[in-house]
Amino acid sequence: MDEDVLTTLKLLIIGESGVGKSSLLLRFTDDTFDPEQSATIGVDFKVKTLAIEGNKAKLAIWDTAGQERFRTLTPSYYRGAQGVILVYDVTRRDSFTKLENWLNELETYTTRNDIVKMLVGNKIDKDDREVDRNEGLKFARKHSMLFIEASAKTKDGVQCAFEELVEKILQTPGLWESDNQGQKVQLGHQEQGRGRACGGYCSIP
Amino acid sequence: MEEKQSHADANLSPDPGGAGTEDRGPEKMISRQLTEQSRFAFAALCGVSLGQLFVGSENSVFKQQYLQGLVQWLDLDESVMPVMGAFLSGLGFEGTDTFLSILQADPLVAAGATPIIQDLVSLSVKEGQYDARARVLIRHVSCLLRVSPQQLEEFEETLGERLREAGEESEEESSRRRRRERGRKLRRYLLIGLATVGGGTVIGVTGGLAAPLVAAGAGAVLGAGGAAALGSAAGIAIMASLFGAAGAGLTGYKMNKCVGAIEEFEFRPMSSGKHLHLTIAVTGWLCSGKYSSFQAPWCSLGECGEQYCLMWESRFLRDLGSAMTTLLDGLVSMVAQEALKYTVLSGIVTALTWPASLLAAASVIDNPWCVCLNRSAEVGKHLAQVLRSRQQGQRPVSLIGFSLGARVIYYCLQELASDKGSEGVVEDVVLLGAPVDGSEKSWERMVRVVAGKIVNGYCRGDWLLGFLYRSSAAQLSVAGLQPINIQDRRIINVDLSSVVKGHLDYMRQMDTILVAVGVPTKEVPGASFLLPQSVKAAEKTVDNLDQARKEQQNNGLEEAELDDEHISWSWDDPHWTTERSPK
Repeated sequence: MDEDVLTTLKLLIIGESGVGKSSLLLRFTDDTFDPEQSATIGVDFKVKTLAIEGNKAKLAIWDTAGQERFRTLTPSYYRGAQGVILVYDVTRRDSFTKLENWLNELETYTTRNDIVKMLVGNKIDKDDREVDRNEGLKFARKHSMLFIEASAKTKDGVQCAFEELVEKILQTPGLWESDNQGQKVQLGHQEQGRGRACGGYCSIP
Repeated sequence: MEEKQSHADANLSPDPGGAGTEDRGPEKMISRQLTEQSRFAFAALCGVSLGQLFVGSENSVFKQQYLQGLVQWLDLDESVMPVMGAFLSGLGFEGTDTFLSILQADPLVAAGATPIIQDLVSLSVKEGQYDARARVLIRHVSCLLRVSPQQLEEFEETLGERLREAGEESEEESSRRRRRERGRKLRRYLLIGLATVGGGTVIGVTGGLAAPLVAAGAGAVLGAGGAAALGSAAGIAIMASLFGAAGAGLTGYKMNKCVGAIEEFEFRPMSSGKHLHLTIAVTGWLCSGKYSSFQAPWCSLGECGEQYCLMWESRFLRDLGSAMTTLLDGLVSMVAQEALKYTVLSGIVTALTWPASLLAAASVIDNPWCVCLNRSAEVGKHLAQVLRSRQQGQRPVSLIGFSLGARVIYYCLQELASDKGSEGVVEDVVLLGAPVDGSEKSWERMVRVVAGKIVNGYCRGDWLLGFLYRSSAAQLSVAGLQPINIQDRRIINVDLSSVVKGHLDYMRQMDTILVAVGVPTKEVPGASFLLPQSVKAAEKTVDNLDQARKEQQNNGLEEAELDDEHISWSWDDPHWTTERSPK
């Protein structure tokens, strides 16, 4: 199966504690949802192969713990990541305001300047929304990120979020390279002067 | 409540003397008291290390089981297993430093990481099986956490004797124990006993005699909860499995008479006490005088577990030894020897270049050499059988040998490699001046069954080895004459040319050689430990590892690790990288 895989991509999911990072990942990889999802310890890891326009990409997804006590662990996973999913909870304003901090951390630790970023506003199935869709959109545009609102519970936008992200990575030359061995993603391959990865955003239904 | 507790203790263990340190609850284990992030970091560190150390698929079951056990032991949630699996498959290596700093920041570890290493050892022997790979991992992690090999060795020794004691106690009445206790003597005393009594009983008696000493100090040495999970009842079972069921272990091993081609095959202990691992030394030939016994060359072997010496085919080895001495001391002149050395050094070894005088004398040595070549292969295969049947117990074995002894080990490993499931038996291997095929193909095979490292000590100017091997098909690549060119973290080539002037020096200069190849040694009165200048000595700290690695890649040289008293048998962590990013 590994032979027809075009490349292996390293993705990272970050965001405040309890915004639904693990739920998003579980919905994407296993198509399950657990309302009682327990807090992630340290970091979680999942692999999924995704077909984009006939190309198969193997995704190695690192799901970090949002809890403060595990914060020290996270930086090491930024290294070599091609894509990052930044999650906030649309029903919790504080998780949105803290996004700046996460971007700063990302900026500090990432090893490439053309990493593709995706902002995901989670839990849109809930009624007590505190962050408007336009606010998220504005923030994403300001920081040249992809943007989507999603709900791990109702499946809304989850698949789309990952697909958009991978598509964008595959469209960015120099960010990935074809590997035949399956799991090695070489670091240090940075092409300077490519500029910001993207200014686009995707709209959701 | 307290009374009730002690009552329960008494019920659990038939021997009240040992109850004090044994029946601690698991909550006393230091690694469980760590914060959750530290526990995660600890498990992750082990996972990442396992992933780096054991790449092959044959190890995946072991890695998975070990880490599963560790996660349970640390009381971590099962949900961390997927990420641990990722670590095992070699991903997430970049986190090592982070894990280390998290662990070291923990208040319980800040004072020193020894307790958690001790916990790791306890975990590893919990099931009564001390896998060689587990020990390599522990050595690797101790190195990362700055726990000295001596501390590890000390703890293993104490734990080993303690387990031994638990086993002994179950079989003997406490009155006998008390009688023994009255005659309590230091362990050194036992060495004398060991030399006089022979056979399997010695070890049994030794274990018993050593016990009181351990009982007195165990609490102190084991530390808080070091062996907490190893209750007395479990201890007995573990002991039986770990040290071999009969208790006699290797010493009691008697060769089946049916083994046709072998005349002599026997183990002799060279150290006392019980350890969680052992070393078997194999001698290459026997001389008259000082080196007339199998044990003689190994007198300076230091702390490397229980030490055994393999006695094999002494009749033929004695013939060979005297032939070698005759050849070197009389038949071939010193001038010719020097010339030969340079001939060999220059690498133009073909049958044609041998001087006529040497070829005339060849008959003296060719016959015993050929006999010994064949015998050593047979003995090696037999040794593999012994190890495979776990006569030594479920403990890691290190093998060290020179000349034909190295050949014995080589064939032993080849035999083990041809058998599935022989991983995790052999820990480290040291081959010195080995008269074996040095081609990559044959070495790649046996790398699989060695958990730790394979040291190939060679000497470019060893003309005698070159000469003796002249008729063999493999004469162009003899392991004892050249480095082995395999990109594997396990293979370490050590050029001994500056120490070994001729093949006989492998025996005469063993003390120095052991230092040069990084085997722990001990001071022996009258022995010189000075290395010649040309053997570069550098202390291998993590700081200069990069450089050391580079040098090793460049010239295949392993630098000797020097210390005033102990030469540590250290694990150099980043070796694996050489294999991952070949130049």
